[in-house]
Amino acid sequence: MESAAKGGYVLANLAEVVERVLGFLPTKALLRAACVCRLWRECARRTLRTRQRIAWVSALEPGPAENHALVRALARELEKVHVLPQTVLYIADAETFSGHEECHEQKKARKRNSKETALALEKLLPKRCQVLGLVTPGIVVTPMGSSSNQPQEIEEGEAGFALLFPKIDGVKIHTFHFSKDMKNRVFDESKFAEAGLKNNPDLRVVLLFGYNSWKTGATRFLHQIVNPLNEKSIILAGGQVESFTSLTSENNHAQPGDACGVVGLAFSGPQIQSATVLLDQDVADERTAEAAMQRLKAANIPEHNTIGFMFACVGRGYRHYKTKRNMEADAFRKFFPNVPLFGFFGHGEIGCDRIVTGNFVLRECNDIKDDLLHGYTTVMTLIHLGSTKANQA
Amino acid sequence: MSLSENNSVVFAYESSVHSTNVLLSLDDQRKQDILCDVTILVEDQRFRAHKAVLAACSSYFLSRIVGQVDADLIITLPEEVTLKGFSPLLQFAYTAKLVLNKDNVSEVCKCAEFLGVRNIEESCFQFLKFRFLDYKLDQQECPRKKCCTQRCQKANPKTGSADDGDLEINDEVEALLEKEYSQIPDTTPCKDEENAKSSPVLQDNSNQNCDPVHLERGSASSLSSQCPKYRKFQKAFGNDKVHTSESNSSIKDVQVPPFAASLEKEIPDNDGVQKAQECVPMQLISNCEETQVEMEDGEEGIQKKEESKRDSITRNVLCPVEKMDLAGFPQNSAASHGPNSVSILHSCEQYGNLNFSSMQNSTVLAEKTVSSSGAGNDKTESQGNPSSKVDLCIREATNITSAGDRSSVEREIAEQLAQGFWSDIHSTDACQIHVPSAVPKEYLESAYSGKKSECPWLGIRISESPEPCSQRTFTTLNSVNCPFISNLGTEGCSNTSEINSGDYVQGQQQEQCPYNYVISLGEDSETDTEGDSESCSAREQECEVKLPFNAQRIISLSRNDFQSFLKMHKLTPEQLDCIHDIRRRSKNRIAAQRCRKRKLDCIQNLESEIEKLQNEKENLLKERNHILSTLGETKQNLTGLCQQV
Repeated sequence: MESAAKGGYVLANLAEVVERVLGFLPTKALLRAACVCRLWRECARRTLRTRQRIAWVSALEPGPAENHALVRALARELEKVHVLPQTVLYIADAETFSGHEECHEQKKARKRNSKETALALEKLLPKRCQVLGLVTPGIVVTPMGSSSNQPQEIEEGEAGFALLFPKIDGVKIHTFHFSKDMKNRVFDESKFAEAGLKNNPDLRVVLLFGYNSWKTGATRFLHQIVNPLNEKSIILAGGQVESFTSLTSENNHAQPGDACGVVGLAFSGPQIQSATVLLDQDVADERTAEAAMQRLKAANIPEHNTIGFMFACVGRGYRHYKTKRNMEADAFRKFFPNVPLFGFFGHGEIGCDRIVTGNFVLRECNDIKDDLLHGYTTVMTLIHLGSTKANQA
Repeated sequence: MSLSENNSVVFAYESSVHSTNVLLSLDDQRKQDILCDVTILVEDQRFRAHKAVLAACSSYFLSRIVGQVDADLIITLPEEVTLKGFSPLLQFAYTAKLVLNKDNVSEVCKCAEFLGVRNIEESCFQFLKFRFLDYKLDQQECPRKKCCTQRCQKANPKTGSADDGDLEINDEVEALLEKEYSQIPDTTPCKDEENAKSSPVLQDNSNQNCDPVHLERGSASSLSSQCPKYRKFQKAFGNDKVHTSESNSSIKDVQVPPFAASLEKEIPDNDGVQKAQECVPMQLISNCEETQVEMEDGEEGIQKKEESKRDSITRNVLCPVEKMDLAGFPQNSAASHGPNSVSILHSCEQYGNLNFSSMQNSTVLAEKTVSSSGAGNDKTESQGNPSSKVDLCIREATNITSAGDRSSVEREIAEQLAQGFWSDIHSTDACQIHVPSAVPKEYLESAYSGKKSECPWLGIRISESPEPCSQRTFTTLNSVNCPFISNLGTEGCSNTSEINSGDYVQGQQQEQCPYNYVISLGEDSETDTEGDSESCSAREQECEVKLPFNAQRIISLSRNDFQSFLKMHKLTPEQLDCIHDIRRRSKNRIAAQRCRKRKLDCIQNLESEIEKLQNEKENLLKERNHILSTLGETKQNLTGLCQQV
């Protein structure tokens, strides 16, 4: 009895002890614990603030049919993650995202269902968190757990991942969405400013995802978006996806219309360093793929607190590498043993060879218009979100 | 109190553009030579600059400048600093912008290191070096590697480029060879055998006919001096005779008489030999002009004659062989493989008595081929019979793959290839035999054109004028990895080959034309697996007309090539748009084709799965019936038992 009373005393009064104990809890449990008393709430808040590492949930193996694997994985794993997600990027494969039973039914049924799946995902996530969800023909994902797990290229089958970005000091991540306005042929530049892509000197990386790219004029529209951004010293990467399924942020909640458009994530912050390389279609065997990775490695981006993105063409993958599976992901892992890799197989890629860090920018300067839109290529991008130690200090 | 406190508050104004503007005005000053107080001499070129700026940017200049009292200092930089490396760095010191390209990146890197320039990060040099290195690799080796493992159509673009005749490509080939040999050392023994066979003959020849051999040797060695890699590789292998047979082919024209003699010696019982001898001089004349040209090429480089070393020839074989290719002997089958020759020996006994026409035809080949090697002679006899046609095709195929890289894999492919086109070859060859009085030269060419149309999907486009020594233009689809693109290319290719065959075929050869056409068209329809390749829309073609080059090139170039290519041509924005459009569309087409293929595969898989499941269902139904029947039986038994009780 006495010891219990002592324990109670310690846990109710000594902030250091409480903080240490709470430090072992995953976020959801921590938030529940924060309801106990004022001291615990303070401690929980402090603990949360130090959790600035990116977390991810990945779903690789299909399971029972009632839900997409990603929904189940997210529901399960969100209990265990140690971050409070503020921005979430999830990508799932287009085939199974809409659910198994409805696949053979009419298209309308499918659409409705994919919306439901998206809603289910959004529901799992905190309310104030901004979510960008995409569906693509294929997925590249690093299994959960350690960041040095072998990334998998899953070109067919049920798979998905969700990247959970916490609030990171000095890094601002926001989503944006531009869709083609049928009436206005000229793209309104002021939308850029709204989205924080203009007059933002700290802007470093923009991930762009085009959808409905098969529509007429989609390329022109994409050019309108990409070209002004390309003039800046930022990394542009991304691709054409099948569709986007969710986009929520504080002030808007967009749904994909029939028109083509672009959704994306913009990373701004002076400490962000990033590099990207383009593997064009000559890169077709292990050696050349590794040479490209070596190039990326030479950019000398720090490897901790860094994520890798891989945006490949549906035409690549194992067929392109003479039925060798997972070539590019393996090459990446070989040179970056501790960087998690995420991405997709899409219908077209956006990217180039470029390095952007706080100190310098290295980019191609061509007289001709630098074409960022490619087909049949792979874009590999590294994004370093600042050293965590500096954040904690 | 509070008032005085307020007064003591300090404000700071910070300008974010000041540093840039100062630098800009300093750059202006430098350009106008205002206030410049130092002159830098690099490779005899003078640069004016400001001491302060240089010292601030580079630790080297800081140490050189500090302590100097001269009003107008002149600094001569040591040899390590080159003009190419220095001027971008000076630019950087004044503009914070470093312009790097493939040519200067390594020099700039070196100079930056030497001068201790600040604010330049090593990683960007590394990145660029990999980029440019990678670029080179992409251009040269990547498509090659592919060819030896899977696609023989890739082989042809290579010969195409080899045929362009620049030595760079020779280098490439050797680099590749080096690699391939290390991969497949087991192919060498067989060649050894063969070399052992052929080398004494070669010695004979060289004894009898020294001067020409020297000449050829000289040319060979001069060529090979440009290919150090290759030589090294040969040495490493300790087998300098790998290509004896090929070397012989390089000496062939000069050595025709001795070859005939050796022929006689080797197989005196062959009744075709005399005829062969008869036609050899004829051939000699017709080929002389061509060799002359080559020899002139070679003579330029004749400095050292390594008479005693036979292996010097063998070492240098490859280059001359390629030269021969350039000169338009596509038929000269470089490789006489051990197994082949054996099989031919047999067949030769059987088909010893050939009529004159086929003999003539074959002697042409013989001459082209490894004339002095016994194996080569044997081959000539069997040219007429079908079994050797495979050989012929193999030889051609190996020849096409740059005469040297005959990995076992490739040979296999070539064999398959040959078998695949057996009937076609047969028809064309038969046709030739029917026309006995034609000039052998024409035979050769027609045979070649026939062959070319047999394998249009190899992806080579050859426009060749009938004159033997005139220039040939080979357009290659080199850096294209995708088979679909090469399909696109071959569309054009087969067209040109048709035209070409039309060119060659004169007089009696006319009757062969239908064959060629039929064959090429047939192949064409086979290669166009998808209707897409026809879909070069009217608009595209229209644009193409306006462009200074054709759409094939736009599509076939790799990205880097493409950009530099665009830079080369001065194009209007519309043209640029059009080109980009064409390129993108073609790439999309490829991607779409792949995608479709995948879907089809997927469908197929599903179908098979359905079949499987249906089978399973049937089985289960059967089982159920069975179980039901047994159940009935048991029930009956039970009721029977009940009644008994």
